[in-house]
Amino acid sequence: MPALRIDGLRKQFGGVKALNGVDLTIGEGEILGVVGPNGSGKTTLFNVVTGLHKPTAGSVTWGGTDMTGLPAHAVSRAGIGHTFQQAMCFPGLSVLENVLIATEHHGNRRAGDYPWTTPVELLDFVGLSPLRDAVAGPLPFGSLRLLGLAMALAARPALLLLDEPGAGLNDKETAALAGLVKQLPGQGISVCVIDHDMTLMRALCPRLAVLDFGTKIADGPTAAVLADPKVLEVYLGGEL
Amino acid sequence: MMFHETTNVLGRPSAALGAILVLVAVLAFVPEAGVSSRIISLAITAAINVVVLYGLSVLFGQTGILSLGHAALVGVGAYTAAILARDFGIGFWGALPIAAVLSGLLAIVVGFPSLRVSGHHFVILTFALGQLFTIFLTNGGAFTGGATGLDLQLPTSVLGLPLDSLAAFYRLSLLFVALAAVAAWGVANSRYGRTLRAVRENEKLAGSIGISVGRQKVGAFAVSGLFAGVSGVLMAYFLRHIAPNQFASFPSIYLALMLMIGGARLLFGPLAGGILVSFLPEIFNLDPVESRILYGVCLIAVILLLPQGVVGGLAELWQRLTATRHANPAAVAPHTISEA
Ligand SMILES: Nc1ncnc2c1ncn2[C@@H]1O[C@H](COP(=O)(O)OP(=O)(O)OP(=O)(O)O)[C@@H](O)[C@H]1O
Ligand SMILES: [Mg+2]
Repeated sequence: MPALRIDGLRKQFGGVKALNGVDLTIGEGEILGVVGPNGSGKTTLFNVVTGLHKPTAGSVTWGGTDMTGLPAHAVSRAGIGHTFQQAMCFPGLSVLENVLIATEHHGNRRAGDYPWTTPVELLDFVGLSPLRDAVAGPLPFGSLRLLGLAMALAARPALLLLDEPGAGLNDKETAALAGLVKQLPGQGISVCVIDHDMTLMRALCPRLAVLDFGTKIADGPTAAVLADPKVLEVYLGGEL
Repeated sequence: MMFHETTNVLGRPSAALGAILVLVAVLAFVPEAGVSSRIISLAITAAINVVVLYGLSVLFGQTGILSLGHAALVGVGAYTAAILARDFGIGFWGALPIAAVLSGLLAIVVGFPSLRVSGHHFVILTFALGQLFTIFLTNGGAFTGGATGLDLQLPTSVLGLPLDSLAAFYRLSLLFVALAAVAAWGVANSRYGRTLRAVRENEKLAGSIGISVGRQKVGAFAVSGLFAGVSGVLMAYFLRHIAPNQFASFPSIYLALMLMIGGARLLFGPLAGGILVSFLPEIFNLDPVESRILYGVCLIAVILLLPQGVVGGLAELWQRLTATRHANPAAVAPHTISEA
């Protein structure tokens, strides 16, 4: 049984059909990649799953429970975490306090077996411990991305949705990030990641889904998807 | 340079609370120094305001929601005290919890629209709800005493002993200032306070880590309402006569002004703001119109120059003066994750 099941998901903003009936499953322990051109609906897909937007139609099922239209905090407490395309933090608070707050609202999931229960353990994992007392707002971009990951993990997700975690990072930072994400399935956390960086996606994701104009046009093993003529057409042979 | 809530001077949270409690204890001896009863009365008014301000510091300082309707919540407390005394013979101490709860409940009503509207629109809405309350009081007939308001005859007593001197009531008010400061400090330095700051700093991110943003906002209103209710009871027992215009728009604006001038995020802010604004007209010998102008000028100056209020401004100045001792003081917040 898939961990997350998305059926016929539609989201319309006025005249814009951001999602036009998307079906998608994410299996337990999987790292699924979602790619597609700008404006193809990737972020909207996350936003609808995580409760930021209400879907126009369709359903989201999580471990057999209907999650459609639940508010963001309820989705998070049910075990679906996410990071934002726009790196976010609580800017006026220290790095440690940012993560501490994120550890305090997980709804007692995985009490016994979660690998990072304290803020310090999370900061160690993402490598931000030296900055624990820094104010989060002025941090460099790469550190903010890592802080976002630490905070999302602090909420003890069983599925983590990462929206362009590599955007704005240099090659070294991207590689470090990929190293962290790869460890997540081993800790019982499935991952769904959006990114435009195909090198990163190839390295991370055994399976890829492609969105175009709110429609899923391909879904399968990464190599096969990237060789699919429909996908090649969308990318005009350029970005791949 | 950015100023942060956790600073070197006031960085140790318990230090700030300790300093405030010592200050309040010292202030309790002011009547011994032969100060005029006019000044003591002003000080009582200031103290009563400081109690609401500590509640507003939770709402505005911690949660980031500005309300221009809190005088109405003080009014609920005051009218509750007067009506309980009149109809049930319930005195000061009995009125306190009932008034606090009723003000807290009305605060929830005032706070509810914050789930739908935010920013300036919401501020205007709180203002309108405050106005609505005075209209209700004015038209409440014999129950609220209409435009003339209500008298309160019961004495204030502690353990059966009447508190009939001004000095005694002054000390009682100081006791509530101390309690309010302790309560606000407790909120700021708890998991609950952290949750509120998360909502203040980034609602979307707060939701994504499992915080129910709407519930926290309305809850912060309720908490600030408790303070307002207590303040209202004090006010009713101090003034002995209450009327709708005391809880209308201007008192609400004064409260916001005091909070802005003192600074909402530091524990000293409400105390400093309440005292400064209450005593400014006295110090400069201003008539009511002049003092309104002065308040306006002060508010603009504070918003432009001291976004963290006078206390925050002083703390920042201190930080700059001692900055040589730290490589980059702005980038470092003490890991005592507190507001001091
Ligand atoms: N809140 C919104 N209101 C109106 N339109 C929106 C909103 N969010 C997204 N859209 C529209 O929906 C479509 C899909 O946007 P979305 O952000 O999901 O794309 P994306 O695939 O994440 O793109 P990118 O790769 O640039 O991040 C776009 O046309 C966008 O303009
Ligand atoms: Mg996007």
